Amino acid sequence: MAGLGKFLIRRGLTFIPTLIGVTLIVFIIAYVIPANPVRAWAGGEKASQAAIEMIKKEYHLDQPWYDQYWFLVKGLFTNSLLDPLNQEPVFNNIGNRFIVTFQLALFAFFFVILIGLPLGIISALKRNSATDMTLRIIALIFISTPIYVIAYLFIWLFFIHWNATTLAGIPPGPPHTITHIPVIDDILTLDWSNFVQQVERFWLPGFTLGIAAAGVLMRFTRNSFLEAYSRDSTLFLKAKGVPKSRLYRHVLKNALVPVITILALQFGGLLAGTPITETIFNLPGIGLYALQAIMYLDFPALIGVTFLYAIVFVTANLIADILYVIIDPRVRL
Amino acid sequence: MAEETGEYETREEYEMSILDRISDRLIDGFASFIGLFKKDWRRRNQSRIKEWKLMAYAVNRSPPTLLGLIIVIVYIFIGIFGPYLAPWPYDFFPVNYNYSTQLAPPGSTYFLNVTQLQNGYIIHYTTYIHYMLGSDTYGRDILSILLSGARTALVLDIFIILIGPTLGIILGLISGYYGGAVDETIMRITDMFLAFPGLILAIALSAVLPGRIQNFLNAHVWAQTFVLKLFALHPRDVNNLGKLLAVFVALVIVWWPGYARVTRGSTLTEKENLYVEAARAIGLPTRTILFRHILPNIIGPILVMITMDFGGIILTEAGLSFLGLGAVPPIPDWGNLINQGSQQFPQAWWLVAFPGLVIVTVVLGWNLLGDGLRDILDPRTRRSLEFKLKKKSKGGEASA
Repeated sequence: MAGLGKFLIRRGLTFIPTLIGVTLIVFIIAYVIPANPVRAWAGGEKASQAAIEMIKKEYHLDQPWYDQYWFLVKGLFTNSLLDPLNQEPVFNNIGNRFIVTFQLALFAFFFVILIGLPLGIISALKRNSATDMTLRIIALIFISTPIYVIAYLFIWLFFIHWNATTLAGIPPGPPHTITHIPVIDDILTLDWSNFVQQVERFWLPGFTLGIAAAGVLMRFTRNSFLEAYSRDSTLFLKAKGVPKSRLYRHVLKNALVPVITILALQFGGLLAGTPITETIFNLPGIGLYALQAIMYLDFPALIGVTFLYAIVFVTANLIADILYVIIDPRVRL
Repeated sequence: MAEETGEYETREEYEMSILDRISDRLIDGFASFIGLFKKDWRRRNQSRIKEWKLMAYAVNRSPPTLLGLIIVIVYIFIGIFGPYLAPWPYDFFPVNYNYSTQLAPPGSTYFLNVTQLQNGYIIHYTTYIHYMLGSDTYGRDILSILLSGARTALVLDIFIILIGPTLGIILGLISGYYGGAVDETIMRITDMFLAFPGLILAIALSAVLPGRIQNFLNAHVWAQTFVLKLFALHPRDVNNLGKLLAVFVALVIVWWPGYARVTRGSTLTEKENLYVEAARAIGLPTRTILFRHILPNIIGPILVMITMDFGGIILTEAGLSFLGLGAVPPIPDWGNLINQGSQQFPQAWWLVAFPGLVIVTVVLGWNLLGDGLRDILDPRTRRSLEFKLKKKSKGGEASA
């Protein structure tokens, strides 16, 4: 695994300029806000001049841009950047909300795998048949449907008609925390009553969020399976007279290599794709926090959130790369 | 049989359907149209025209692709003529003094009091409006807004695709072809943009940009007029254009990096080919090598990506409007209707259902078309499609 260590170092080094660039882009975004955010933070039209001056000084808004940039970057890395709306460090605000978003993404991920993998494999096994055609069109419909349309359809079906979920509030986590993610803690501490509560609240948003990604995974699995099936090694196994079930097991092993790497990317995508779902299902996650930050021109919060998103995304890419290297040693060269 | 007729042709004859004849006619017509301007074009591009015809046969034999094509053509047609086909203008807010016309259910008919200034007199009269698909929270006819909103979607779609991917492709070509420091710089910038989830970057940009764009529009009357004509909007909506164009700029910024990366990758492998070396040896300018030699050879997968992104842009744009960031009323927009409906759900289900259905259909159409194109443009799968066509071999060993 010597090659792997080298690879990690090389990959980690490209991580740094990307992150610096990300902070720059975020800063530029915040910089083009034309309205005067300080007045909004100080309490709107009636804010006193003294309060405005004080806030300006606190956030270095009266300094040149490089000073403002340095202030923001320093604030991000030392977590000293305060959210002007509640005077808490930005990442403290984000931390609480990230738990909700992470749990939502976990549920979505569960449904993605549950729907995407089997249907994709069935589609590939019965390629060019009516089943395959139907499944492919279903996958395309999953991809083509906007998440808010699915969300309202499901709310109407599962909440209004069948009342199979709750849509208000967030159930509190279990008393014993280990990982701080309630569902995982429930499983670890065998707290079933809380587990049921969490599932009742989160399964529908997760299902909604996962639908589009499930469609993508279905298509990807099918293509990957067919690609593995058309290899020479498969032909050899066939010629050797290996029974079909064992043949497919070999093909599946080869086909799952790219699938596993794309799963890592999809988890990153799910974490980042929550703003609309959280708005509709009223979950206080980071997506909702980002939207609120935009609405109140709360750009320290906005910068914190976008920075976090960038880190999540880049990390997901990194994990996908690492998985690929571990599974497929040829890439390491 | 060939010997009997005396002429020996190794030509494959396909069993033609009506669709094949239509597509043949269309392609022949297009070819002679170009022939009007460029002499000799038809003769020199014979094989290309034949290739196009084969592609069209493949499309004609794949029902999903045909369905996608039909949906896309209808979408483009309505996008162009929708505002003129709409029974009511998009900014017609009906008034009845006795009851509210807001959130009228589908299929209902309401009487309206109209007040108009005519020849210096104010005249009142009563007329009626039939809400085939219901009305929105302002009492506007949803059918009209859906038709007019197609223009908004189409214009954003086309202009974003024209600018974003083009920029990405050019940068990718340059980056892949030159390599070295140029490549490194462009790719690091691309990485920075790719590090953001698209939706988040689009949300942030479309939230902060409107003010700047509105200032620009207010300062430049020609830009105002151009944009108003483009979206078929009434001049009194000029102050709402900032938000609309902010979405446009945001999506262009979000949409180029993916193309840059894909184009760079294919350019890297393509430039190793001998024909590129030959082109360089005879001293062709780099511009020609990039756009006339390399680009046509790598364009296949990019075209598929573009086709699918036509749908993707509609989805993202509607998503932003749903969050209240894009077009605001009275500008007609599909996503905005759903945004209004979200507060009235499930009582006013038609505000979510009809725009939702329209969006799903259009995006599905683009995706079906893109999926079909992928099969058709990929030489491996296309050949297998062609073999599936029933052939009557003419001239001995024609099918070989």
